[in-house]
Parts: sequence; C-alpha cells; structure tokens
Amino acid sequence: MLIPHPLLGLRDAQEFTYLGDASLMSPPPSDDPEALERHVHLRDNPAGLLRELWFHEQGDRSWLVVTRDTRTHEILGAELATDIRREGAR
Amino acid sequence: MPDLSPLCALGAFDSRSERFGALRLTEVPDLGLVSIALRKGAEAPAPFGLALPGPGAWAEGATASALWTGPGQWLLELPGQGAADVVGLVAPEAPGCSLTEQTDGWACIEITSTAGAAPLEALRERLVNLAPGTLAPGHGTRTILHHMSVLVIRRAPDRLAVLGMRSAADSLWHALSETAARLETQE
Repeated sequence: MLIPHPLLGLRDAQEFTYLGDASLMSPPPSDDPEALERHVHLRDNPAGLLRELWFHEQGDRSWLVVTRDTRTHEILGAELATDIRREGAR
Repeated sequence: MPDLSPLCALGAFDSRSERFGALRLTEVPDLGLVSIALRKGAEAPAPFGLALPGPGAWAEGATASALWTGPGQWLLELPGQGAADVVGLVAPEAPGCSLTEQTDGWACIEITSTAGAAPLEALRERLVNLAPGTLAPGHGTRTILHHMSVLVIRRAPDRLAVLGMRSAADSLWHALSETAARLETQE
C-alpha cells in the first residue's frame, strides 16, 4: 500500500505506523467523563470511508490524516494533521 | 599507556573502502552533523550562506550541506568537522534555532560509481522502496533499508550517501556491500 504524503509524494505504508480514527484529534471537554470514556475506548467500525491517523515514523515524522475506503483499501487523500489543526477544523 | 586513538564506525583505526565492479563503498569518518529545528513561527536561517532546501531535497554549500528531514527541520553536514564542536560552529549561523549535535550518532557510507547513474539506480531498486524521482540528484530522504532507519542522499548522478545508525554500521555495510557484490556478479 502506498500513502500519498502531501510533502513527499507516494511512500510505502511500511514507513508509517497506524493510530486509528482521526476523531482522536478532537477530544471532548474534560468535564464530561462519559463523553471522554467514549472518546478513549469506543470506535466506529465503518465499512466505507474512514479518516484515520498515520504517523510517518521512518520518514519525516509528520502525522497525516488519510482518507481510506475500508472495503477496498483505496486511499482517497492525505493531509498533514498539523494543517488541519491550524485551520481549527475537525 | 592505553591507546586512546579514536576508532571509525566500522571498528578500525582507518576508514573502510571496498570496490565492487563499478561501485566503490567508502566509510566517511570525519563528517560533522548538526540537526537544526525551527522554533514555532520562526523564519528559516541561512547557515554559511546556504539556502535550506524544501521537502525531499538536499542542498550543497561551500562549508556545509543540508538535508530536509521534516517540516522546519534539517540535518546540516559539515565535511571534515567530525572532531569539531559543530554546535559551536553553527550556533552563530542559525540564531534562535534548536541545534543538536549528531556527529558520531550516524555512520556515513559514500557510494561512488565509475559507470554513471545506472549502477546506483540498480542499488536503489534493490534496497529501498522509493520512486525514482525521490532520489534524483540533489534529493535525499529518510527511509527504511533492511529494517534500519537511514538517510539516503543523492549528491550527484554518480554519488550516493547512506547514513545509518552508528551502532548498526556493520549491518549497514553488510547490506550495502552484499547487494553491490551481487550486482557485480550479475554484470
């Protein structure tokens, strides 16, 4: 599998480590313990498009948000997580 | 009196050099290395007049060369300064940046070709999973080679440098020399 790194072009997925759902980037307010519990432990398992976090560990060490179709492993795009965070979007 | 002469990364007093057909592998013992990281929102400096390269690129200057290693991060190479206080040398050239000495953390193996780019391209195809353009002359990147984290720099069409962990210098030499020897027997 090749990950289209926004800065470095197509890179082998072997260079990356996988974290999971990109919603981990936006934790709920810490005064709601139940929402926090769901955020930490519960994941959707969609058959279809999923935005997920990949870390370019054996590369430039940047976090990417990769959009992947879990049925076909087709990768529809990748963005730098820092850019998404800077724009303030989820 | 104990002998306190420094050893090269491959364990000998002199650096190792071996030829395999058109390729020559040479251990470089005296390369000074410093990593430069920008603080948040800071402008990139121009150490020794060198314009720091963009993603995936390597730039060569008279005193130092630089490899882009991540957003706002570069590895500065200072040839012949392996025994110098490299952070002291670079600090006035990169004010406000975070500098970390990397000399002797890495073992550098230079590979030169007497038959142009083709033998180096053959080596790249067998050792790393990178698109050809990623290692065009003037480019370099961090990647995996035989499960080791390495920096690969294409200094010129006929010159390639591989920097690996110094503690794994023998494994790196083994991986490179074995592949080069196989290419030689295939010729």
